[in-house]
Formats: sequence, structure tokens, C-alpha cells
Amino acid sequence: MNPKKILIAVDASDNAARAVDYVAQLLTDTTTFDVTVLYIERPPNRDFFPSDAEWIKAGVAQEEHIRAFLEESRQKLAATGLPQASVNVAYIPHCQSPVHQSAEFCSLGTSIARDILQFQQSGGFGTLVIGRRGVSRAEEFLFGSVTTKVTHLAKDCTVWVVQ
Amino acid sequence: MTDIYELLARHAPEIPRKRIGRLLTDTSEFMNIQYGDVIALDGRHFLVLRDEKERSFGVEDPKYWVKRCRELETGERKILKLVFYERFPVSLGSMEIECYRSPRKEARILDLVRGDGRFMQGYSRDDDAGNTVRVLDVVQGELLSLAIDRLEADHKTYFFELLPDILDKFCAACGAIEFLHLHGENHGDIRRDHLWLEHGTGNYVWIDFDYTYEFHESPFGLDIFGLGNLLLFVCGKKFCTTFNMVRPEFDGKNDVTFEAADFSMLFKNRLANLRKVYPYVPMALNNVLMHFSAATEVFYATVGELLEELQPCADLIRRG
Repeated sequence: MNPKKILIAVDASDNAARAVDYVAQLLTDTTTFDVTVLYIERPPNRDFFPSDAEWIKAGVAQEEHIRAFLEESRQKLAATGLPQASVNVAYIPHCQSPVHQSAEFCSLGTSIARDILQFQQSGGFGTLVIGRRGVSRAEEFLFGSVTTKVTHLAKDCTVWVVQ
Repeated sequence: MTDIYELLARHAPEIPRKRIGRLLTDTSEFMNIQYGDVIALDGRHFLVLRDEKERSFGVEDPKYWVKRCRELETGERKILKLVFYERFPVSLGSMEIECYRSPRKEARILDLVRGDGRFMQGYSRDDDAGNTVRVLDVVQGELLSLAIDRLEADHKTYFFELLPDILDKFCAACGAIEFLHLHGENHGDIRRDHLWLEHGTGNYVWIDFDYTYEFHESPFGLDIFGLGNLLLFVCGKKFCTTFNMVRPEFDGKNDVTFEAADFSMLFKNRLANLRKVYPYVPMALNNVLMHFSAATEVFYATVGELLEELQPCADLIRRG
């Protein structure tokens, strides 16, 4: 694993934005790093919508929002002085995505944390950066935490947790 | 088109003519569907008798989208759940989550659990407007919590003489939830109002699967927490709370000092550490209960993990 290959796992939350800002500050005026901003799609729950048309509409709106966040992140990182080719974004759709019905690589959605780590391993990223929101222990037990699971399961890489 | 007067004259002649309503093939306007109306669905006809009610704190809350019916062709009592898309916050102690009603989810689970006595039975059909109507068998029985509450025994008698069999059946009910999880589904709203004791079979039967909420990294955590809450009730014969433990009629130890860690992780007045007031609760069972307390450092990731520790407890109590 190459520690200079950095993977930032994001959703479109403020915590994710802080993780991107942190890396951007750290890498200012450096040129030897390679950074990828990764989003694993968590589509709107199909069961919430009366019709598939409304579900697809919500999925499209969500993807637009996420892609705008990824582009903003890419620009922030590129502004540090890194070569354009060293800053990448990756959007991994869900296997039952309302928008990407036949994606070559997709997330089963059973664990975002495992999907992140699979991407990190296959891409040879030696550094993984992830934001964390303050959650109570009860919330963590009841709903789980992607960040906690990532820190528990990560192997062969350094994990930076940005709170 | 079938004539409603003919239909009712044939199958329900006791209905006075002036009370006969409309024959409906579109159930969208469920608020306007009332006694005397007949809902036609896939060749079957359901005479509406009344709206279903949810009872809590002595108050009856009508559920206008749930109709008690009689199937005219068979005479059987049925419950028709009509489509009502509702999004509402649910408070869990200090936490609040956004919940939704999903007819589609409930219809899918009804298909999954067909023939399984641990779940309410029924099927779904779309009406002419595309609404997914669920046609449910009536569970002949009563809420398990009410049946337990009514048992005339002090806690110690209940615990040693009745609880072991109840625990065995409760474990079977947990196994039913595990079955849903293994098939990628969740119940979504595990609470006292949704577990029935079926008369005749003695089965514990889960009802109402239409609640759902946002996916999280631990999609079944909320169901497991719900099972933990029910377990506290089942083991205590009630919820032991800061309100009832100070009453003279409380049948446990009352010279006890409590800490915040003794109580539920979300319901701060609900005791999880039952061994403090009922010292005969075996350590093994109390350890299971403490997984749902504010003190816990670990939580069950699956129902299987919970069952592994809970299942031996009934025999442990039997052995005294």
C-alpha cells in the first residue's frame, strides 16, 4: 500500500466536507500525492415512494447533489497545487440504483464500510480519510457507524478520522 | 358491474337498506370509506364494518386507513389496510428518527412469511387506482403484554413457574425476526402493540410490517433494540420504572440504590438491571438484559447473537 495514495471517503455531509478541507490544507504546495474522493451510493429507500417514477426522481436529485459535492471537493484539492491527474473522484452506484441500472461495479448496500475498504484495497490506497459526526453510543449501537466500522476493519492502511 | 344491493341481499341480508353504501374499486379516499360500503378487490367483496382503532394509554385512536371487514363470499372477518403514505418522527428516548409507512414493504413481507404461524397472514392486491391493499386475517387472540400483565402471580411465582415457557416462545418470536433479517427485511416497529398471543395455538404472532426507516450501517439494530425492550417487559412481568418501583405494591426489593447505568440506554426511567430488584434473576439472563442498558459496551449485531445467550436461560430458571 502506498501511503501517498490517499482515499477520502465521503457522503455529502458537513463532516465529509471537513475531511476534504483537512486533506486540502495538509497537502498545500505538495505535488507527490495522489488523492481520490470516493462516494458509495446509498440511494433513497424504494419503499418510501408510492411509485418507481418518484423514487427515480429522488435518486436523480440525490445524485446531482452528491456529484456537485464531489466536484467541489475535486476543485478544493486541485487548488492545493496537486497535478490535475492526481486528483480523482469516484462515484460507486448501488446495485439497485434508481439511476444506474447496469453499472459495472456496484455496491450491494449491505455495508458502506466494507465497500469503502474494498475500494481502498483494490486501489492500493495506503491512507484512508473519513469524517465522523459525534454520535452517542446508543445511536452507534442502534444505527451503526460507517466510520467506527471502517476503523475496526481496516487493514494495511492508515486511517485518519476527522471529527 | 355487480350491484351492491344484490350483493348484500345475497350475502348480508341483515344490513338495513338505508345503511348500504357504495361499491368501491378505488380506495384512495380512505377517509370517506365507512360502514356499509363494499370494497371490490380482484373478484372478492369486503363489507366495511368499522375503522380499526389503536388503543394506548386508555385512549382509542382511530386508524382510518385500516378497515375491519367481512368478506361477503366467505363470511370471514378480514382487515383491509388501505394505502396511507405517512412520514413521521418517532421518539426513542432522547433520539428521534424519521419513519415511513410502506404498503409495498408490508406486501412483500406478507408474501415472504406466507404459511408461517409466527407472523400475521394475508395477501395484497392492487385496486383499480393502483393502491396496494393488504387483506389480512384477523389474529384470534390478544396482545402478549396484556396477557402477561393479567397473570395473577407475584413476580417470583411468575418468574419460576411461568416465565421459562414464555421465554421459550419469546425466543421463537425472536427467531421469526431473525428470519426476516436473513431475507434482507426488517420488522421496523417492534413494540408491545405488535406481538400477539394467538388463542388456540399459543403462538406468538408478529403483526404490522409496514414501518420502515432510512438505511443505516446497522440496518437491524432498531429491531434488536425493540426485542430487548420486549424482553425487559417479559422478564419483569412489566416495565420496572422509576415510577412503579417506589409504589407500595411493587413486588421487588425497594431498598436499592440505582445508577444511571442500571437503566435502558434510551429509556432512562426503565430498569434494565432487573437483578437489582429481583435478586433471583440468573446472572446469564441479567447479562442479556444489560446489553440494552446505558452501561453496555457491546451490542448484539444480530438476533442470532442475542438468541445464543438467551435460549439457555429458560432451562437455567427451570433448574432454579
